[in-house]
This record gives sequence, structure tokens and C-alpha cells, in this order.
Amino acid sequence: MIFRAVEDADLIHKARGGDVESYNLLISRWEKRVYNYLLRIVGDREEALDLSQDVFLKAYQNLRKLDDAERFAPWLFRIAHNEAFSAFRKRRPETEVLGQESGGAEIAAGGPAFPIELSIAVATALEKLTDDQREAVILKVYQGFKFDEMAEILSCPVSTVKSRLYSAFGALKIQLAPVKSRGVT
Amino acid sequence: MSCSPFDLCDYLFGELADGERRQVERHVRSCGGCHEDLERLRITHSTLLTLRDEEVPRRIGFVSDKVFEPSLVRRAWRSFWGSSARLGFASAAMLSAALVIFTFFRPAVATPMVSNPSPDVTDIEAVVAGRVSAAVDKAVAESEARQAKNTAALLAAANARYEQQHAADLEQVKEAFSYLERRYNTSVVASNQEMKGAQ
Repeated sequence: MIFRAVEDADLIHKARGGDVESYNLLISRWEKRVYNYLLRIVGDREEALDLSQDVFLKAYQNLRKLDDAERFAPWLFRIAHNEAFSAFRKRRPETEVLGQESGGAEIAAGGPAFPIELSIAVATALEKLTDDQREAVILKVYQGFKFDEMAEILSCPVSTVKSRLYSAFGALKIQLAPVKSRGVT
Repeated sequence: MSCSPFDLCDYLFGELADGERRQVERHVRSCGGCHEDLERLRITHSTLLTLRDEEVPRRIGFVSDKVFEPSLVRRAWRSFWGSSARLGFASAAMLSAALVIFTFFRPAVATPMVSNPSPDVTDIEAVVAGRVSAAVDKAVAESEARQAKNTAALLAAANARYEQQHAADLEQVKEAFSYLERRYNTSVVASNQEMKGAQ
């Protein structure tokens, strides 16, 4: 558990009053999570960074619309989700085929602590999921959101979230089985 | 198909309450199929976690106030006053309103004050000049008196010092004269004795 002298809610309150430095501090706490979430969805570092900036800019402009500061995380990721899929839909026709082959390897290059083949295998397995399934896995496994928060981010019922996640795990179990059988557990 | 009382994925992701978790744990201990399913889920989950987060290539931060418009009200306010046409219209409206208000709520015309007959200026000047002259004379007299007093004191002190010095000088002269007289007498006596001896 990370102790924070100043809670996010305080920073949000100050940022609402026009304190840009407080908002920058808030960004520093969340930028890595948002960036990695977007990176795993769009599969491109530069685009993920651009989208991250857009996300935080939109979040600032709409900060007054956030009713409950305690719900900042799902609210922020809701914006990120909208930005990612807006960009994803725009570029899908030209990268649909490429994404299956190169996207996974590109993302996997960032994990030096583990064997590169395993990271590539995981990234490739994630790429093979549908967009909805992949995002459910990312939000649950990598971002640690609860089902109700995921439902808020994805704007769908909890049952739909569970369905996407379980079907994704079913597919991942099969795709990653050869990797696991090689002794990586 | 799992026969667990609750979904094993919910268990794996910590979405179950404590009682539900305990039920799943009891079931998994007694059911080989569910135990194997849960292990596969755990392995898949841990395999997924091998894909680590990356650092953000560049820090994200904002500094420009132009980008951060704080509120809709402020933006509307600025955009309204940023238009010269609106500014001119607003000025004309304010001028018109001021004219209307002035027409209906005109303040009463101020009547000229009846001034009291003023005293003769020459008399006042004469009185003032007289008072000033008297004050100056008084100040001069006081100053002269102080000066005379100081002078007298200085003279008295000087006389006293002169008298003392004079007395001291006389005393020294007397002593010197007495000394010379004694030496003269001594030499006269010695001379007389020498003369008597020679005779």
C-alpha cells in the first residue's frame, strides 16, 4: 500500500480551482497506468503517449463534471477508453493485419525482467483476443479494477464485463498453454 | 464445466466475499477438477503478469493557462469582452442606462450658500501685523536679555581669573624681590668684611 501525504481528492479539488501544479502531481501518479493501458490497446508507444496527453487534457477540462472524487480512477479510464477506441476505429483499416503480427512484439520489448519469448507470447495472445476481451483483461489483470468499476469504464453491465473476461481467459489458457508447458510458470 | 459454488475467476480476482471465498476453498480442496481449473487460471494469470508496465517515454505535464480554461463562466466572460462589437454595445447600453437614471432621479439643484458679511481685510491685516510685531519685539527683548546676562557672567568670570592671576604674579614678584634683596645684603656684608680684612 502506498502512503500518500496528499490524497487524489485533495489534488482534484485544487485542480478544479485552477491549480495546474496540483493537476500535474495528479498526472504523475496516474500517467504510467494510463499510458500502459493505452499502449496495450493501441500497440504503439507514440500514439499511446499522444492519447495519454489527450486523456489528461480532457480530464482537466471536465474535472468539474466528476461528481465523486473517489471515483476518479474509473472516470479517468472511461475517458482513456473513449480516446483509445476513437483512435483505434480511425486507424483500424490500415493496421488490422499488421497489428496481428508486429504489435505484440513491439509491446513486449518493454519487459526486461522476464524472458523475451514469454513476453512476446503474452503480447501476441492478447492481440488475438477481440478488442472487448483484451480491454477486459487489461483493466482486470493489469489495472486491477473491480467489476463494477470496469462496468463504469466500459459503460456496460457487470455481467457483460464478466462474460468478456471469462471468454478471454478461456482463449488465453489455450494460447498460452504451449508457453507454460515449456516450464514458464 | 466447473462445479464450484462460485465462479473460479471471481475467486481468482478477489471479487468474492469472505464467506464465499471460504466455500470455494473448501470445494477446491475436495474437487480435483475444480482444483485443476483453478491452477490453470492461476498459471494463466501469472503468465499474463510477465508482461510488465513500461515507463512513460516523456513526462506529461501542463503549464499553459491558455490550454486550461478553468470554467465555462470565465470562458464566456472572456469571450464576451473579447469582442469589440459587444464591448461597444455594452458601453452604449451603460451610457443609455445612466442617462435614463439621471433623467428620473436627477439630484436637486444646489442652491448657492448665503455668505456671511466678511470683516474688513485691512483691519484684520492691521491686527495681525500688530500681533506679529509685538511677538517679534518680545522675542528680541528676551534674546537680548539672555545675551546680556551671558556676557555679564563671562566678564565676571574673566575678572575673577584676572584678579587671581594678578595676585599670583605679585606674590612671585615679591618672592623674587625678597630673594634678590637677601642676596644683595649678603654680598654687601661679604664685601664689607673683605674690605675690613684688607685694611
